[in-house]
Amino acid sequence: MSTSAEILTLPSRPPRFAFIRGLRLSGFPLIPTVILVGIAFVAVFANQLAPHNPEIGSLAARFKPPFWETGGSMKYLLGTDQLGRDVLSRLIFGARVSMVVGITAVLFAGVVGTTLGIISGYLGGWVDQLIMRLTDTWLALPALTFAIFLAAIVGPSMWNIVIILGITYWTRYARVIRGEVLSLKEREFVRLAIVAGCSKWTIMRRHILPNVINSAVVLGTLMLGVVIITEATLSFLGIGVPPPQPAWGLMLSDGKQSLMVGRWWLTIFPGCAIMLMVLSANILGDWLRVKLDPQLRQL
Amino acid sequence: MESPASGGTNTNLTRREVLAAAAAASLTVGAPHAAFAAAPAGQLTYGVHVSLAPSWFDPADTQGIITPFMVLYALHDAMVKGMPGKAQAPCLAESWSAAADGLSYDFVIRKDAKSHNGEPVTAEDVKFSYERYRGTSHELMKENLGSIETPDPQHVRFKLKKPWPDFLNFYSSASGAGWIVPKKYVEKVGDEGFKQAPIGAGPYKFVSFNPGVELVLEAFEGYWRKPPSVKRLVMRVIPEEGTRLAALKRGEIDIAYSIRGELAEELQKTPGLALKPVVLQAPNWIYFPEQWDPKSPWHDLRVRQAANFAIDRDGMSQALFLGYCKVTNSVIPYTFDFYWPPPAAVYDPAKARKLMAEAGFASGFDAGLLYCDSSYANMAEIAVNNLGEIGIRAKLEPIERAGFYAGYANKKYRKGIIQAASGAFGNAATRLAAFVVKDGAFAYGSYPDIDALYPQQADELDHEKRAAMIEKMQRLVHEKAIYAPIWQLGFLNGVGPRVGESGFDRIPGFAYTAPFEDLTIKS
Amino acid sequence: MKQYIITRIGYCLLSLFLLSLTIFFFVRVTGDPATLLVEPGASPDDIAAIHHQFGLDRPLLVQYGLFMVSVVTGDLGQSFYYRTPVLELYWSRLPYSVMLATAAMAFSLLLGIPSGILAAVRVGRFWDSAGKVFALLGLSLPSFWVGLVLILVFSVYLGWLPSSGAGTPLHLIMPAFALGWYFAASHMRLTRSSMLEVLGSEYVKLARLKGLPQALVISKHAFKNALIPVLTLAGINFVIMISVAVVVETVFAWPGVGRLLYEGIAFRDFPVVQGTVLMLGVMTVTVNMIVDILYAVIDPRIRLAS
Repeated sequence: MSTSAEILTLPSRPPRFAFIRGLRLSGFPLIPTVILVGIAFVAVFANQLAPHNPEIGSLAARFKPPFWETGGSMKYLLGTDQLGRDVLSRLIFGARVSMVVGITAVLFAGVVGTTLGIISGYLGGWVDQLIMRLTDTWLALPALTFAIFLAAIVGPSMWNIVIILGITYWTRYARVIRGEVLSLKEREFVRLAIVAGCSKWTIMRRHILPNVINSAVVLGTLMLGVVIITEATLSFLGIGVPPPQPAWGLMLSDGKQSLMVGRWWLTIFPGCAIMLMVLSANILGDWLRVKLDPQLRQL
Repeated sequence: MESPASGGTNTNLTRREVLAAAAAASLTVGAPHAAFAAAPAGQLTYGVHVSLAPSWFDPADTQGIITPFMVLYALHDAMVKGMPGKAQAPCLAESWSAAADGLSYDFVIRKDAKSHNGEPVTAEDVKFSYERYRGTSHELMKENLGSIETPDPQHVRFKLKKPWPDFLNFYSSASGAGWIVPKKYVEKVGDEGFKQAPIGAGPYKFVSFNPGVELVLEAFEGYWRKPPSVKRLVMRVIPEEGTRLAALKRGEIDIAYSIRGELAEELQKTPGLALKPVVLQAPNWIYFPEQWDPKSPWHDLRVRQAANFAIDRDGMSQALFLGYCKVTNSVIPYTFDFYWPPPAAVYDPAKARKLMAEAGFASGFDAGLLYCDSSYANMAEIAVNNLGEIGIRAKLEPIERAGFYAGYANKKYRKGIIQAASGAFGNAATRLAAFVVKDGAFAYGSYPDIDALYPQQADELDHEKRAAMIEKMQRLVHEKAIYAPIWQLGFLNGVGPRVGESGFDRIPGFAYTAPFEDLTIKS
Repeated sequence: MKQYIITRIGYCLLSLFLLSLTIFFFVRVTGDPATLLVEPGASPDDIAAIHHQFGLDRPLLVQYGLFMVSVVTGDLGQSFYYRTPVLELYWSRLPYSVMLATAAMAFSLLLGIPSGILAAVRVGRFWDSAGKVFALLGLSLPSFWVGLVLILVFSVYLGWLPSSGAGTPLHLIMPAFALGWYFAASHMRLTRSSMLEVLGSEYVKLARLKGLPQALVISKHAFKNALIPVLTLAGINFVIMISVAVVVETVFAWPGVGRLLYEGIAFRDFPVVQGTVLMLGVMTVTVNMIVDILYAVIDPRIRLAS
């Protein structure tokens, strides 16, 4: 953990394009980032971008193939689903649902997990033990099972899913952050702050937190993918984001019958969307991890 | 049968008549053993959509759902049960009679009825099976029963405390009390032991059961009706529909239960496979719990009628079930006793809009939430669209099955509208009791004129008079548009090329294959 | 050392106790199993009868007490749905789960470790990226979808493999692939980072200074040491696989524990859920504890610090 303190200092301003060249040289994953930004853009401007209403379709227009196949039309570029809804519009609005669910859940898990990880790692003692036992118990149940449980209790709705995912994954953060805090505690600048008389909370807030943010962010990008996949799996099991909301995972799950009968466009497009988003998030996360500290082994 | 103008075809007609008579005879329940039946051979494999439960091996535990009968019809037999052509056919009971005062029922047990262990079925077994019954409606069965007499092994008399016109209905189909298990064996191994190795009087014997995986059965050649032609039946659990169809296509299974929607379309197009639709005794409907609240738009009859006109039942059926659902305008299954057929449902959105305008809702209103069982959310989505087209704006609220029915019964969904269904057993009267009459399990309110009729018909012993009263109740339900019935579910199944007689749709309203002894493999 | 082991075992038991408490109350919050065992329209009497039959009408503390007593005596109760002892159900399904997890783990290590090594050693940019991307792809596709596509391609179109069920090794191929692919990425990452660490270690630097060829350095020393953390992660993932397999088990009708648990939750089969979760918890906690102890054995700093 040698470079944490250095991250706090700003580099001197380089000439304009040298920045990008510098990034590329360091292997910055340009394409994945562009993809993620693109998805976020689509999510924000869904209302303007989508040609049709994603939740209402007409039975007369069911199962139209994409426009380049026979039977397709320019009206429904990527075809329609079993209720006659435009696939492209559902994909676009689905970006919003996936983004919202993904980012909110990750933030929720991150905030709770990081906070508890800092408290647990820094304060030590019985607080640490209590929180660690709690995470142990939590972790004894794999995430998916836990999520299934919670869904059975509270019932599925978009915000419930966010809460469920957040509650399921906060333990990942807590463990990793705590590990980092444990070693940070022994560092010079923390000891100096203690000697200077700073209160525990100030130290945690001003000195520890900024140094663990990196790990939290890295973990966040990695968790984003996991959360999205979990949401898709919950939809498959029938307890994900409920219809008629267009979530990619739900589209995949709804279209699984269509897949078996050759109507590939109902699953391939949302499947690609999920894959692009998760793959991009993972590549970006991996790169961040390498950049920030190749020894973040627990991730 | 003879047509005078046909000239010299007398002998042909006579032969045809003879063949027709023989065919009719072989279809009649109770025909003697077919002398030309070969020994049972071969195996048929089922792909089942639900996990098989050992409680289905014991008729005493029959809950009020239809799924256990998938297994009961194979392993066990009843005194009186539904068979092809007859809703109450004599099976283990050769004949029966009811006393004029309705206080006792006599049954004569078939002499050649045997259990799988070779023991004959006796009156003691019948008494024992009734007394140990603890499944659906068992308090009702016990409450009305006075005593059971067994004068000799072949005769049983049920004495009731008071006249109960529905006794035979409950004994034969609405409960499992009439399904007979051998008393000595059950007492020897106990209830739990019985579930591990059940013995019954049905056409198939229990061989093995791997929980959640597969059930293996073997033909019982001593079955009174006839020895089954298929030697082994394997029921394999394959919960995922797409996988079930794949298995059927590859010949890994011969019969697949529950193949819906697009997979059913695919099945129809596949050479060698046949789609077998069965209409279930499970009507689906939309209910208006707010209709008794004077401040609600649903209080106005015209609004409820408008909702009825707005639903595109045929379109829904076509889109979701390939058109195999039977559109209905009653919440009572048409196979039930005392069913009154209402005028057909009409899809007329223009008329619906007119009615809405007359009621003062030309610009529509916000109906709140449409609660539904999440497994039927796709139906509900279409319903929401249909209602939206005439101005009734509702938002879908799918709820997981168990939670939904619990909430429905606990009267949680007072505001909004409900889409639900019921496959419960009984007759028209029992359905009305649960869904229409005051204090019914699922009745959110009631009308005094209907309520008044209910106790009257419950005590009426004369069948005609009773039918008239129950018909009147159903008319009132229809006129008041208490419900918007949609259809009776079409249960779609797939059958592979090896199967001769699949057993589907032979017993009206029964979703699964039966009678099992009639199954055949094509040679 | 012994002190460390004893304290870890103590924590194990504490965790399990907390787990039993949590699961006990959790299942009861999911709802009432009686409503699922009867047709809608059942009378309140029917429901009350079921409550009585399963002892659900007794006070919660009494139920918990009985539950704990039965756990200690090795009886995990009887399934509401199957009417068979939970332990029997569990043991009958566990071999299938272990089989599937083993095959999936083998696949995931076969994919993960080489790509991790390649990524660390940077043998040509293409193979390094290709392996990485393939592993990451497994993380980016929901396993149910992968499973269905596999069935479509290999079972229906090509007809090479049976579509579902368990029985022959052929039945195992597709489910193992669908399950293992997801975990390949985490094994790859760990192999890579731990290889990097080892390659930067003093020992390896010394070997290089001595003039030993790169390949020898990598294969003899770096590889072995880099593997230790990967294998421990694999151990932890093995247990996770058993539960996460629920999706693959559903698609392929594979009779494993994951599906048993899922159905238990769906049917509100309290004994099954309680029992299965506890048994899985025992497995998880045991594996974690072994891993922790192994680490303490290898690295004395951890042992002394705690």
